[in-house]
Amino acid sequence: MTNKITLHHGDGGVKTNALINEVFLKYYGANMDVSLSDAFIFDVKTSKLAYTTDSFVVQPLFFRGGDIGKLAVCGTLNDLATAGAKPYYLSASFMIEEGFDIDVLCKIAQSMGDVCKENGVKIVTGDTKVVEKGSVDGLFINTSGIGVVAESFAPSKIEPEDEIIITGTIAEHGTAILLDRYDLEIETNITSDCCALSHLITDLDKVLPYIKLMKDPTRGGVATVLNEIATNVGYNVELIENRIPMNPQIKAINDILGIDPFYLACEGRMILVVKNGFGKRVLQKLRKLRGYENAQSIGRFTNDYQKTVYLKTSIGGKRVMPSLEGQMVPRIC
Amino acid sequence: MMNDDKKIIRILEVCGTHTQAIVKSGIRYILPNYVKLLSGPGCPVCVTSESYIDMAMDLLSNEEVILATFGDMLKVKGTFYSLFEKKTKENVVILYSPEDAIVLAQKNPEKKVVFLAVGFETTAPIIATTIKNVQENGPDNLFFLSALKRMEPILRFILEDDRNKINGLICPGHVASVLGSDAFRFITEDFHLPAVVCGFEAEDIKKGVHLLLDQIDGKSPVSFANLYERCVRTTGNKLAKDYMEEVFYIEDGYWRGIGKVPNSALGLDKKYQNLDAKYKFGVKEKIIPKPSACQCGEIILGLKTPYECKQFAVSCTPENPLGPCMISSEGACSAHYKYGKVVF
Repeated sequence: MTNKITLHHGDGGVKTNALINEVFLKYYGANMDVSLSDAFIFDVKTSKLAYTTDSFVVQPLFFRGGDIGKLAVCGTLNDLATAGAKPYYLSASFMIEEGFDIDVLCKIAQSMGDVCKENGVKIVTGDTKVVEKGSVDGLFINTSGIGVVAESFAPSKIEPEDEIIITGTIAEHGTAILLDRYDLEIETNITSDCCALSHLITDLDKVLPYIKLMKDPTRGGVATVLNEIATNVGYNVELIENRIPMNPQIKAINDILGIDPFYLACEGRMILVVKNGFGKRVLQKLRKLRGYENAQSIGRFTNDYQKTVYLKTSIGGKRVMPSLEGQMVPRIC
Repeated sequence: MMNDDKKIIRILEVCGTHTQAIVKSGIRYILPNYVKLLSGPGCPVCVTSESYIDMAMDLLSNEEVILATFGDMLKVKGTFYSLFEKKTKENVVILYSPEDAIVLAQKNPEKKVVFLAVGFETTAPIIATTIKNVQENGPDNLFFLSALKRMEPILRFILEDDRNKINGLICPGHVASVLGSDAFRFITEDFHLPAVVCGFEAEDIKKGVHLLLDQIDGKSPVSFANLYERCVRTTGNKLAKDYMEEVFYIEDGYWRGIGKVPNSALGLDKKYQNLDAKYKFGVKEKIIPKPSACQCGEIILGLKTPYECKQFAVSCTPENPLGPCMISSEGACSAHYKYGKVVF
């Protein structure tokens, strides 16, 4: 096999098959259905399934702490988790730019296979398209996923005084991408928080019934996602700045860049809305899990109806945190 | 809120970073509601004139050119378009430091890189050192399009307007660290207004505001103070000033929403004309008269609130801003547009 993707790799012929066998089947390994039929067939024995899809167009394709493949699998697993679902099957479709390096594709397929293995989930169907140079930026991936719902969250039952918990430090994925995208020569050990959170549905087990909503603060970050929630439930959200867990390096880097970390994506964190009075129990359970030591109760819903997110600042001030508008770019001032 | 206009105290801050810090720290919430913090024209990107963006746009039509710019310049509209609307992946590159432009030019020897030099006396020295360095050591494919601005002339311009209702000033700490705190004494000496140089932490600003309020309330005599001594000396940074003196000359500047302000800009000195994109590419600034609809000037002077501007939220929005108060994400109009009257 040549080491560059050509348009023939996407024409459905010999080269396409070679690509499937030598890249995808190889690296997805036991996590791949090998029937190669055009559709995967499976039995349904449960009453409630969750089904989600997402496309991934991240640049750069490899960033500190992950790559587009890891992100594509974790992103869909996490979307299933927000529905209280344990993941079963995934699809993965690739749109590849002509000339793409096959060794690089192997690395990406391998990291997808690795995440699947760690989370006991299989990629059972997929597709590969090769497009002319310049039509996509290297590689786009779409994944979709089916999972079995273990706990049906009830966001409609959210009421004032319900607690808001974040499962870890914020803004790490967004900052890692910024550092790589703008080639900023800042010495730091910051990496993306990109990881699968499916296990929460199993590990939180007994406290799951106290959780009314799970949402991963990806695009637009914690601020935008909380605005979405506030708009939907109709109450205000009050956040306490001092309690929001943030690595001091993240704060410093974003201060330098003039970017507000509350709007930067997390790819391995969840926001939980917990029934008033049960936040402590959920936190205790969370903090015992590896990687969740920084979980924190960061705020609550209040009995006001402007559907607005407020931040109580560290100096005792107060400000509105609106949704993200437009793209965030480093500021001069 | 007090309606008696006389009892409203207006404090002007003229640094974009102060504006950011004020909004982010929620400081307005803990001040008495008769104290209004106004955001002056201290964000160099926001006050960049339409004609400057038009010049950059003209350069962009030259296929040889790569524009190198600070990120927030992308959103600023020229007469018709912003760079964001016209850029491709290759022809506009976001940089964080002017020195990165040298590397960009070296990596693209077949192209001509033009750095969009915007900023006040804070970024001007580092741009000056870059220009001097390029003159001495190359590369020969890097040029500079200057829209650099000076702080003192615009402050004088505002304070000399008899209609202004400003009661005190928070001076820009970063500019002061370069020029020295003495560069702002004129506010107190010539205009008899309380003024304070302060840092950028919420606590710094709180302290600064209290000091000003004491003077405005008559509890202490009107004076000038430097509360940012950890970074700002009275005479500033001599080396940085020398570089600016060497590389730039003072010219009239055009400010968005305000118009022409005498001696408020820095152009490349004749010695460096070969690096000046205006000369190299023959682009000319076509001055368009101040758009009559924009009332940012009055808002900055404290004469009007955003709500009193007829364009506010009608023809002037964050997506389609007419003037600096709406362009800056935390400018007075943009902030009121986003946050409404809830907190302010």
